[in-house]
Amino acid sequence: MKNVRIWFKKDDACRYISHLDLNRTMLRALHKSKLPIWHTEGFNPHPFATFPLPLSLGFRGVNECMDVKLEDDDFPFEEIITRLNACLPRGIRVFKVTEAVMKAGKVAYASFTVCLSLPGKPSGLVCRQLEELLACEHIEIEKKSKKGRKTVDIKPAVRDFSVTERFDFAELAIILSAGSSDNVNPNLLVAALEQRTGETYEADITRNELYNAEMEPFR
Amino acid sequence: MVSKDVERLLLKVQKPGRYVGGELNEVIKDKKDVAVRFAFCFPDTYEVGMSHLGMKILYSQFNSVPDIWCERVFAPWVDMEEEMRRHGIPLYALESGDPLTAFDFIGFTLQYELSYSNMLNMLRLGGIPITTEARGDELKHIVVAGGPCACNPEPIADFVDLFFIGEGEEVDLEVIELFRQCKREGVGKQAFLRRCADIEGVYVPSLYEVSYHEDGTIARFAPKDGAPAVIHKRLMLDMDKSYYPDNFVVPLVEIVHDRAVQEIFRGCIRGCRFCQAGFLYRPVREKSPETINAQCRALCTNTGYDEVSLSSLSSSDYSQIVPLLEKLTAWSGEEKVSLSLPSLRVDGFTDEIMNKIKTVRKSGLTFAPEAGSQRMRDVINKNVQHDELMQTCATAFAGGWTTVKLYFMIGLPTETMDDVAAIADLGQDVVETFYQTPNRPKGKSPRVTVSASSFVPKPFTPFQWEPQDTIDMLHEKQQHIKNSIRSKKITFNYHDADTSFLEAVFARGDRKLCRVMALACERGFHFDGWNDCFRLENWLALFEECGIDPAFYANRRRSFDEILPWDHIDYGVKKSFFISECRKAYENTTTPHCRLACSHCGAAKYGKGVCFEKRQDLV
Ligand code: SF4
Repeated sequence: MKNVRIWFKKDDACRYISHLDLNRTMLRALHKSKLPIWHTEGFNPHPFATFPLPLSLGFRGVNECMDVKLEDDDFPFEEIITRLNACLPRGIRVFKVTEAVMKAGKVAYASFTVCLSLPGKPSGLVCRQLEELLACEHIEIEKKSKKGRKTVDIKPAVRDFSVTERFDFAELAIILSAGSSDNVNPNLLVAALEQRTGETYEADITRNELYNAEMEPFR
Repeated sequence: MVSKDVERLLLKVQKPGRYVGGELNEVIKDKKDVAVRFAFCFPDTYEVGMSHLGMKILYSQFNSVPDIWCERVFAPWVDMEEEMRRHGIPLYALESGDPLTAFDFIGFTLQYELSYSNMLNMLRLGGIPITTEARGDELKHIVVAGGPCACNPEPIADFVDLFFIGEGEEVDLEVIELFRQCKREGVGKQAFLRRCADIEGVYVPSLYEVSYHEDGTIARFAPKDGAPAVIHKRLMLDMDKSYYPDNFVVPLVEIVHDRAVQEIFRGCIRGCRFCQAGFLYRPVREKSPETINAQCRALCTNTGYDEVSLSSLSSSDYSQIVPLLEKLTAWSGEEKVSLSLPSLRVDGFTDEIMNKIKTVRKSGLTFAPEAGSQRMRDVINKNVQHDELMQTCATAFAGGWTTVKLYFMIGLPTETMDDVAAIADLGQDVVETFYQTPNRPKGKSPRVTVSASSFVPKPFTPFQWEPQDTIDMLHEKQQHIKNSIRSKKITFNYHDADTSFLEAVFARGDRKLCRVMALACERGFHFDGWNDCFRLENWLALFEECGIDPAFYANRRRSFDEILPWDHIDYGVKKSFFISECRKAYENTTTPHCRLACSHCGAAKYGKGVCFEKRQDLV
């Protein structure tokens, strides 16, 4: 039995499905592919797969991953790619299969590209608004969780960022805390900006890469 | 594939995954290779529509013809509809993202009357005029409809250019063929429709004129322009040879029935007197176990589903159910596929069947005795005895089940308050049966759900002349069951009587209702099948505005010699048979099912199916 990490992109129509839907879609594809993946036991056996860090509905993901257990240690990784892609909807494409080097719990940061625009307003304005927000000492925002609402300061979660003015949008590259304990969703940042300016932005968000606490790319 | 404009709305609405297409096995074609474009519209949400087998069959079949491109369209939920209206985005098909106006055919499947308002709303959202008249003579935007509600097309006769009567697999393609020909000849829509009317199984409502008596009943129904006086249904005679998809579109988001579905036969031998489907699809025609097995396997392989449900009106009536289950379980376990067998009859739940389905999954069991007292079950010809039901429940309890769901109807013809109370008693008897079953699950208690819906008299049944109980009477009966339940182990729930009333109005409506429908569309009515949107008061106000009394349709007893709005349509079962069945109901007399004895309903004229099976000699 070998722990294997399957890397994929999630975009197009599949960008609009939730993590739960992604999970079901993946299990179905694994089942259809008949790859030698370990299945759960019991009344209703199904392929066993876990996701180191779920992706929010609406985000594009260019470096997403899913962990499975391979029953055949010598099974070629290349074949996993072709067989799975044949069983997946167009919006999910597997591009790489590796051994799981780091434990899933090691994820500590994630990098995002956030393209922000205000219909009918110059992108330079949005850039300035973003820079002003990120220059604040505290960025407070109400966060909804299972336990209710609470106000959190997301500024400490911002590890690094840069703002670039594009033709009709502002491009924010940002690295935020991620993982099971201290996860900050870039949607919160957009909400904080909206709270501050009173405007409604159009946001197109891509998650690029995951990192461990030492800022080494997650492998 | 959706446009940038649509994408902008998606993050503002609930469950955007239902508006984007892009699923596994979705069919995408190159427009320049396509001659006929068909928008298959389901007048409900994506989750409901994608669960519907008929849509899957026709989608695959159309798309198996290289130059026909059939795409899917669903009703956007209210939040999405509002965004689309506000941003001027017309209703579009999921595959191409093109608006309805880009299509030659706009087809609806009508599964329930309460979706009529959605049908008109979808046309309106797509920028298509709702009436046949307003759409003009150009040969495009042909609005067609099929499905069980097409058996009484009259309440929507003004809006649909042609109806498919019966099973659509063959006749759809014949109409499309005629369309190609008319297109080549440069013929207009009116002439095209006239020629369609000569195809068996096609009904073109604009070719008929209806006149009424003073009391609102029909005086005359007259064909114009040489159109046929009676429209006969089409049906597939050889089920083994009829088209079945080896592939389903596999949705990205969770839908109502998210599994592979395998049809095992059409029709029903039973002849329950309230059941429209049981008569519309006569005679019973089965697929062979070999065909079912092969089709099932292909479906699982191509979709990746790990669950198949065997579909029919009454699965335990499949004549070779045990050999079939043997074939299926030979591979299903190995391939980690589970089988489910819905629509089990009370008397069809044998040890053998139970053991086959139990090997894979244990879920709650559902039975439909439909009525509480034996007398009432005889009236509706539900040939189920009290002892059989208890025996079945005992079998299930001994097999480890603890949850049983029982479905009933209230408001049935000749029903008394005692019959109603008997529903609660039956639930109680099931609870007691649990405790009397020696090898019941130890240390557990039973959970019995008693569910009561309100009877809606439907066309093409022996009860088509019956009045529906008034809403007040139905409420009283619901209350009576509630008061009669004594055990905490029984949960009682019931359907809203208001929706059943509106359903009854449209089920047996005539063309006078078209005005109400048009007005409902203008006022933005939609999703009447959903409690979120349905308000009976709003409908009552519309009826009043149009000077129409809905009770005329729902609560009036018709006489056997009245011309019924659907009398010109023929589903194979003779009116004289329905009359004799209705009379037998009044006498509490049952009719044997087709495999015990033929009752000469008329459906033998098709020359196939159960009518020609060898019956075992009964001693
Ligand atoms: S003709 Fe006889 S066997 Fe055939 S469907 Fe009617 S009752 Fe059943």
